[in-house]
Amino acid sequence: MLFNSIDFAIFLPIVFLCYWYVFRQKVRLQNLLLLVASYFFYGLWDWRFLFLILASTIVDFFVGIYIARNNENPKNAKFGLYVSILFNLSLLGFFKYYNFFVESFTDMFQLFGYTIKSVWTLKIILPVGISFYTFQTISYSLDIYYKRINPTRNFLNFAAFVSFFPQLVAGPIERASNLLKQIEKKRSFNHDQIVSGLKLILWGLFKKMVIADSLAPIVDDIFANYPEYSSATLILGVTLFSFQVYGDFSGYSDIAIGTAKLFGIELMSNFKFPNFSRNVAEYWQRWHVSLSTWFRHYIYIPLGGSRVNKLISIRNIAIVFLVSGFWHGANWTFIFWGAFHAVAFIPVFLLGRNSIYKNSVVAQNSILPSIKEVFQVFITFVIVTFSRIFFRSESITDAFKYIKQIFTNVTYEVYAHPMGYRMIDYYILLAVFVVYEYIIRKDERNPFKFKSRTVRFLIYTLLIFIMLLFYDDGVDRSFIYFQF
Amino acid sequence: MKKLILKIPLYLILMLLCLELLVRIFHLAKDTPTRYVDDYQVEKWEPNQNGFAVTGNRRQNFSEYRINSSGFNSYREFKSTKENFEIALVGDSFIEGFHQNYYNSIGKKIEKKLDTVSVFEYGYAGYDLADQLHLIHQYKEQFKNVDKVILGLKYENDLFRSKYQIEKSRLALNTPLNRMLKKSKLLVYTKSIGALNPLLNFINKIKNFRKTKTTIIKTATTIDVEVTARIANLNALIGLYGFNKTKYYFLLDETITPKLFLNYLDQNGYKYISIGHKLQQSTKNTTLIYDMHWNNLGREIIANEIVRYLNSENKDVLKMNNR
Repeated sequence: MLFNSIDFAIFLPIVFLCYWYVFRQKVRLQNLLLLVASYFFYGLWDWRFLFLILASTIVDFFVGIYIARNNENPKNAKFGLYVSILFNLSLLGFFKYYNFFVESFTDMFQLFGYTIKSVWTLKIILPVGISFYTFQTISYSLDIYYKRINPTRNFLNFAAFVSFFPQLVAGPIERASNLLKQIEKKRSFNHDQIVSGLKLILWGLFKKMVIADSLAPIVDDIFANYPEYSSATLILGVTLFSFQVYGDFSGYSDIAIGTAKLFGIELMSNFKFPNFSRNVAEYWQRWHVSLSTWFRHYIYIPLGGSRVNKLISIRNIAIVFLVSGFWHGANWTFIFWGAFHAVAFIPVFLLGRNSIYKNSVVAQNSILPSIKEVFQVFITFVIVTFSRIFFRSESITDAFKYIKQIFTNVTYEVYAHPMGYRMIDYYILLAVFVVYEYIIRKDERNPFKFKSRTVRFLIYTLLIFIMLLFYDDGVDRSFIYFQF
Repeated sequence: MKKLILKIPLYLILMLLCLELLVRIFHLAKDTPTRYVDDYQVEKWEPNQNGFAVTGNRRQNFSEYRINSSGFNSYREFKSTKENFEIALVGDSFIEGFHQNYYNSIGKKIEKKLDTVSVFEYGYAGYDLADQLHLIHQYKEQFKNVDKVILGLKYENDLFRSKYQIEKSRLALNTPLNRMLKKSKLLVYTKSIGALNPLLNFINKIKNFRKTKTTIIKTATTIDVEVTARIANLNALIGLYGFNKTKYYFLLDETITPKLFLNYLDQNGYKYISIGHKLQQSTKNTTLIYDMHWNNLGREIIANEIVRYLNSENKDVLKMNNR
């Protein structure tokens, strides 16, 4: 079930009303409802994969208890942890990476002149959201192992935590210390929280349906036919992809956070206006925050983080970015994308500028940014956008050919929309979007932070109006990050 | 909770009102003329109406229509004479041409190329061959003096019936409820851009929940049977209303019409003007965005093909100046 579908528009109010009207007295019943609703929500994609979620839930629930029981016996605790990690990574490895490894293995032989016809590749469907919920359950076991949390003894609560439908298929990847704690506590109806959730849903839908969906046909066209296009068009293609993927994923995250709010649950922020980052380090503090912090807590810091010597720190950074790339997909394009970001991040780290923008935003105390900030934001956007050529290309060969074409076919042609629509509409749309995001850049949880109720109302109406203006019945509405 | 329940409908109503206003200010929704059945049992538009047709979310196509006193979209009135050379174009929405300014229609383009000719465009969305032949039969006095009649024929849509009956589903669009709903420009707009489709599809999905889907795979045999059935319909209609083979022509896309059907037309002396190849040869788009109807270039090609065909057929009959 997609957030931007009529099915969800019917499903959500029903669950909401049952949650607050029928089951409001008992938190157990509310959690049971959340679990049933989540399994129904997920089962509409493919009910068979519910067994994977259930298996992951059962294993980690008992492993969690086992680790806590063996607190005094590190060997046993470690064994429990390994069971959890191995089980979840095996699921991920089989469904997501099996074919990649087989193909890479046969390709490697070809490189040395041997031709092996692969007979081991399988027709495997990637279960939606597997990368997200497996990481969430691994973090649960790790947190218990590191004694950050105590395991829950309530299976229902744990199952609801693993499968909580707003964030099940594409995050934010939550930690038990935040989400499970809220699931265990009684929630009370909070009007302001619900209104804030509805606002986030509206803003998320706008980003998805207007920014991402309307740019998708243009990006698809340019990336599919890149050998025919001039450098100007190719730059346009990847720039628009930058906005598309941002609109798509941050839109999804906003809807997820907003939906969770409707049930009295606060999820962590996943996007904090990454397009206004002043260096690559700040970008990673603003883009897909839940994944970045996951890697930071469970890979970077255990490896020594930045408290070791510079060389080891650089190695740690490289590992994190390579793993992050690999997490995104079983394709060399993602590994190159990760490597590219590592290369872009390391100089910032060496200059000691990786944390300087941690608690501030561009033009923190002024209306307009300084020239220096404009330049920094522009350079960061260019670097990040350039890396997206790897992210979007079908293969690593295509990515390099795309880049080569940018530098060799240096010409300018006016790009015509593949369906014949006016391109100027899209340029105006993006300009307005960037300006609006700049205005609201200080609070990603409140996209309509205006004092006047009339102004807020007019903005809601205008957003819906623009949604109609850019609505396309024929477009594929699924979210990009569902494939990861 | 009560506050929320009161607030949400209030906000929704206010928003709908504002959206209605915005749609009206930017004229994003099409106007719909009133349809009716005249004394001759011919379904058409009520005479003397004006308005604008809109296509696309952002007014990608905006055109004016004018329903003349005969009830068809045209810049001219239809008065056939013995003295002048007149052509009647009879067909569906492609001939009706709401997607073009009424003063830039296919008929007008033909007249520009053949300046002694008058073209009467009897176009009405949804007209099939039964509608067309019935109309000609009922208006025989008007058509008596018309020199050439060109019937727009789409094999895929226009040969399902063997006799004419008033199409109730089309007239249902004119019920008081429908007319009232059309007063909401927001509703007309959202429907036309397909924004209501997910909801309508969902309702249909629920309605057809228990129904099993049957898919018909077209084999060579089924195509033969289908063509035979449509030829039978054609013959039945011609038997009923008559067909002057020297005066009547079909206008069809030969690239999407079965060879078997074309052969039948050839063998039985039915003349047709082919437009498919010329449309395909065009390097530029011949249809509108968000709409399969011909754009200006498409209409130009159709007009050219008609003129070319008539010129070749009627060199000595047509006393016209070919520009």
